[in-house]
Amino acid sequence: MIPARDEIATVAAVVAGVRASLGCHVLVVDDASSDGTAAAARAAGAMALELPLGLGAWGATQAGIRYARRHGYAGVITLDADGQHQPDSLGELFKAQAASRANVIIGTCTERLSRAKRIAWHYLRLLTGLRLADFTSGLRLYDARAVAILAGPAASLLDYQDVGVLMLLAKRGIAIRETPVPMSPRRAGHSRVFASWPVVARYLLHTTILCVAQIDAGRRQGKHSAKERHA
Amino acid sequence: MITGQITAAILGVGLTASILYLVRRDHLHGPYALWWFAVAAATFVLGVFPAVVPWLGSLTGIFYAPVLPIIVGLSLVLIRLLKLDIDRSRQERRLRRLTQKLAILEQELDRLGGRSVASPQGRGDDDED
Repeated sequence: MIPARDEIATVAAVVAGVRASLGCHVLVVDDASSDGTAAAARAAGAMALELPLGLGAWGATQAGIRYARRHGYAGVITLDADGQHQPDSLGELFKAQAASRANVIIGTCTERLSRAKRIAWHYLRLLTGLRLADFTSGLRLYDARAVAILAGPAASLLDYQDVGVLMLLAKRGIAIRETPVPMSPRRAGHSRVFASWPVVARYLLHTTILCVAQIDAGRRQGKHSAKERHA
Repeated sequence: MITGQITAAILGVGLTASILYLVRRDHLHGPYALWWFAVAAATFVLGVFPAVVPWLGSLTGIFYAPVLPIIVGLSLVLIRLLKLDIDRSRQERRLRRLTQKLAILEQELDRLGGRSVASPQGRGDDDED
């Protein structure tokens, strides 16, 4: 499932890549694009949801997750439409899931993280208690249990797919793991979160408030994984 | 009569009248109408009978009674603002979910439409341009 906003330059190649690599149904969620992203996705053989109002990256992702839940899919893989996630590496997510039996697998590429991101993630690790290397990676595998939680209204007011989503999952006892995957540099477009310093500052401020309000969630996840290790 | 009291009375009566008018014209409805009606009543009483203020002051033990309506008024404004943001968040959640549902249903409708396009009684594509 691929959330996309004005990604007509890359979306068709990503759709074709995923179809060649996994042969699964591909759903592109067009976040009120003005450039015909949805049409390009359909032409490439994907199904497409067209949001009439822009809901942001997470709002678009959730639309896809709700679609998956409605149609009884066993799980959802999300990846970015800008081509930074390589379709051939999607198998890694399944392997990691089979190995760890986690509900959510996040594909991360730690070499690609900028210094600003490293600092921000270190701060978020301290704040949330979630032991993750990359909080915003859009390359994820959600199983049916995670999909059921994320499709609900509790996840509808979140703006980014990162901390809020992960905290919500952690709070409900969902196991989250990361697996390293190779990533290409973005061909077009840019990070919605790390666009400019004022945006980053606002993002971190929002996230801090969210974390302080949910201070127990990540720690609970820590306890869950501790229990698993003992078992 | 002191002029200040006349001003207060005019303000109180004016506010009461305009709120009643808005409720009457259905511009304010439901719980909002009740809230603003209470505000109108309070303004009216305070404007027309300013003696209520020192009386309330002695009742609550506040020495400088004129500050009492200001404190109460400000706290009510704060509560109102908070309630407004809570309502706004709820509406935003509903709006987002509706938007997503609309896109999902539209996609399903398209798929069904593609399958049943041969149906002779089909009336589903009235709004196609």
